[in-house]
Amino acid sequence: MSENLRQMLDLGLFWEYRSILLAGLAFNFYVFAASASAAIVLGFLAALARVNPLRPLRWLGAVHVETFRNAPDYVMLVWVHFVMPLLIGQAIGMRVTFAPFVSAVIALGLVYSGYLAETFRTGMQAVPRGQIEAARACGMGGVLVMRRIILPQAVRMMLPEAMNNFVSLFKATTIVSLITVPDLMYRVQMVTQQEMRPLPLYTGAALTYFVLIWAVAALARAGSERWRRKIWA
Amino acid sequence: MGNWERLVWNQRNVLLDGFLVTLEICAIAFAVAVAAGLGLALLRLYVRPLRWPAIMWIEYCRATPIYVQLMWVNYVWPEILGWPTTFYTAGWVALALQSSGYLAETFRTGIENIGRGQREAAYAVGMSPLLTFRRIILPQVLVTIAPSIVTQFTVIVKSSTLVSVITVQDLMFQSQRLVNVWFEPIEILTATAAIYILFIFAVSAAGKALADRLRLRYGLGT
Repeated sequence: MSENLRQMLDLGLFWEYRSILLAGLAFNFYVFAASASAAIVLGFLAALARVNPLRPLRWLGAVHVETFRNAPDYVMLVWVHFVMPLLIGQAIGMRVTFAPFVSAVIALGLVYSGYLAETFRTGMQAVPRGQIEAARACGMGGVLVMRRIILPQAVRMMLPEAMNNFVSLFKATTIVSLITVPDLMYRVQMVTQQEMRPLPLYTGAALTYFVLIWAVAALARAGSERWRRKIWA
Repeated sequence: MGNWERLVWNQRNVLLDGFLVTLEICAIAFAVAVAAGLGLALLRLYVRPLRWPAIMWIEYCRATPIYVQLMWVNYVWPEILGWPTTFYTAGWVALALQSSGYLAETFRTGIENIGRGQREAAYAVGMSPLLTFRRIILPQVLVTIAPSIVTQFTVIVKSSTLVSVITVQDLMFQSQRLVNVWFEPIEILTATAAIYILFIFAVSAAGKALADRLRLRYGLGT
């Protein structure tokens, strides 16, 4: 028991492999950056569709949001990796395969575009209608109203919730190891098979993610609060 | 449509077995998470010496990805604690661990939002702290946080797909096994995704309806 405990706290093994593991952590960030960009673009489009006066577009937006917001990350990941290339292949009559990294970015981008679309939509709808009508009355066009009146306020209002979405997205990047993207968890598994000592390795991985995510979440919370207060004060 | 019948409809018993395992493991994890979350919130609020350990534990549960926790519970706990001994137990323990952290914070904000005056009034009429908590505070807290608790259940269902990785035979596991038997993933995986999406959608819709009813009945904001 105490021997095991000593082994668990002995993170030397984790430290020994630091360069390999750090390179894995970099993959978490790559996947995060790529899928966050995809999710922001897609989520913004879906949010625009949901507040559009055209009914079919509103429906399309709602279907997008409800599908991806309710889909489990892992199911989506497996579906995009194994089914989507086959469907595309059937459509264009060619053999298509996705690299694991590409599948990871598509899957996480789709899932989090659903969450972000809702965040964006609530932010946009929180801007009082009177302001929009006033802007229209001054002769501003739809795009200009969006860019100069709605977005500057909406972005500030939705920032804390968007930060939560991004923190969740970063946590979700750990599952990409399951389709062999060589991220931190993937490498921890490889090293564990080599060393046969799961204790320090998995504990090290858990602690690394904890410190990283906790610190980033705390910073994001403080930062977005301060920015909001500065504007709204 | 022949493929759908052969690969999905004819395999419905296997998929249903998997879905029942999913429901079961989620129900256990949810019950444990609610109890543990309430316990942690109470420790954090009312038990001075355990305040900091409780905060650290809550933050740890909240800030670690579920997949990492699952691996941690599955590989590390048995060696230090000698428990959990089966993959199934490791699965629900990890799911409960994650959600207990979130629920603890939900309970805490719920409890803190109830005015001090109510507790003082209850003491003034001679109620003990325990009775006050059980009869005055907890019912109101449950009404306000019921929607968040339902949301947390959907999070557990989403995360539960990962227990298939440690060979718990849930819906995801069964559908991947079918894929490995037939080598035809399109219909099976699409059906699996649809089942999950519809189930989680139904649970969230029920949660939203519950929130609306509670608001109407008790006049509470959410």
